[in-house]
Amino acid sequence: MKILKTIWKLIISFLLFWKDFLVGDSPELALGVLIILGVAYLLRNHGVWDVASITSLALVLMVVTVWRKTRDHR
Amino acid sequence: MFTGSEIVLIITVMAASAVEAVEALTIILASGITHGWRSTWEGAIVALFALAAVVAVLGTTIIHHVDINVLRVIVGTLLLIFGMQWLTKAILRSSGFKAMHDEAKIFEKDVEELKKEKHIRHGKRDSIAFVVSFKGVFLEGMEVVMIVISFGLSNGNDYSRLKYAVLGAAVAIAVIAVIGAIVAKPLSKVPENTLKLGVGIILVSFGMFWMGEGAGVKWPMSDVFILILAAVFTTTTFGLIAFFKGVHNRMHHEGHTL
Repeated sequence: MKILKTIWKLIISFLLFWKDFLVGDSPELALGVLIILGVAYLLRNHGVWDVASITSLALVLMVVTVWRKTRDHR
Repeated sequence: MFTGSEIVLIITVMAASAVEAVEALTIILASGITHGWRSTWEGAIVALFALAAVVAVLGTTIIHHVDINVLRVIVGTLLLIFGMQWLTKAILRSSGFKAMHDEAKIFEKDVEELKKEKHIRHGKRDSIAFVVSFKGVFLEGMEVVMIVISFGLSNGNDYSRLKYAVLGAAVAIAVIAVIGAIVAKPLSKVPENTLKLGVGIILVSFGMFWMGEGAGVKWPMSDVFILILAAVFTTTTFGLIAFFKGVHNRMHHEGHTL
């Protein structure tokens, strides 16, 4: 039982480490990047639309993230 | 000797590694000065071995078992997340909404905090110094590892790029370590904010390109489109800095406290 608890604690610590490492204090960035990835898969083979859409989405993500962070200071 | 893309790879990894190495050095110095050098060095060396093992295991596993397009999606996504994090922080700092990264101040704060910690000794080893040093080097190093693996394996089962990425990181870490050992104080003169801004743009541009390519997006002009992406992100970054600097200045004039 004690071993199971230790293993469980290690798994949770491992997952928390990666969550902190990849998501940190900007969950909207990680979520936004996953949305861009989804759009890239959906619109692939659609001529220039795929390129234009994912590039625009990345720019919107940048603007929204910076705006949200500056709002915390206003 | 080196091709253009290899030089870009080495410089990018060197710049990213230098930023993280400077931050790790500050932690090592604070720990060594307050809790002794022996355990501090032990913690740092064990962390470096752990990081090397992560590169060896993760790198080899990925090369042998992951499809090139899946790999591009993974490395592209990681680079895009890291790049966006670095870039947004750099924009906030340059526009005045976040204090500039100052290694000297961080060092003073770390030293004050570590002075309050009691010395916990196991034989000749000071546990606090060992753990602080290990954690600092390992955490700062993990970001370097991710960048090394991402840039090094972007061409799939081609070890040569990984070799160049490792070379870039090793040179940066060695240079910072030697300078740190000579001056024995935090390297506050390294332009970390500018480096993060530049590297952030490169990471975002490469990340977008590889993520899109892995997902099946056909980029016009192939690899050359990375330069167009870099130009777009650079323009947007400086546009955002100029705009939010104006917002910050207006707030300052109106008497808001930040």
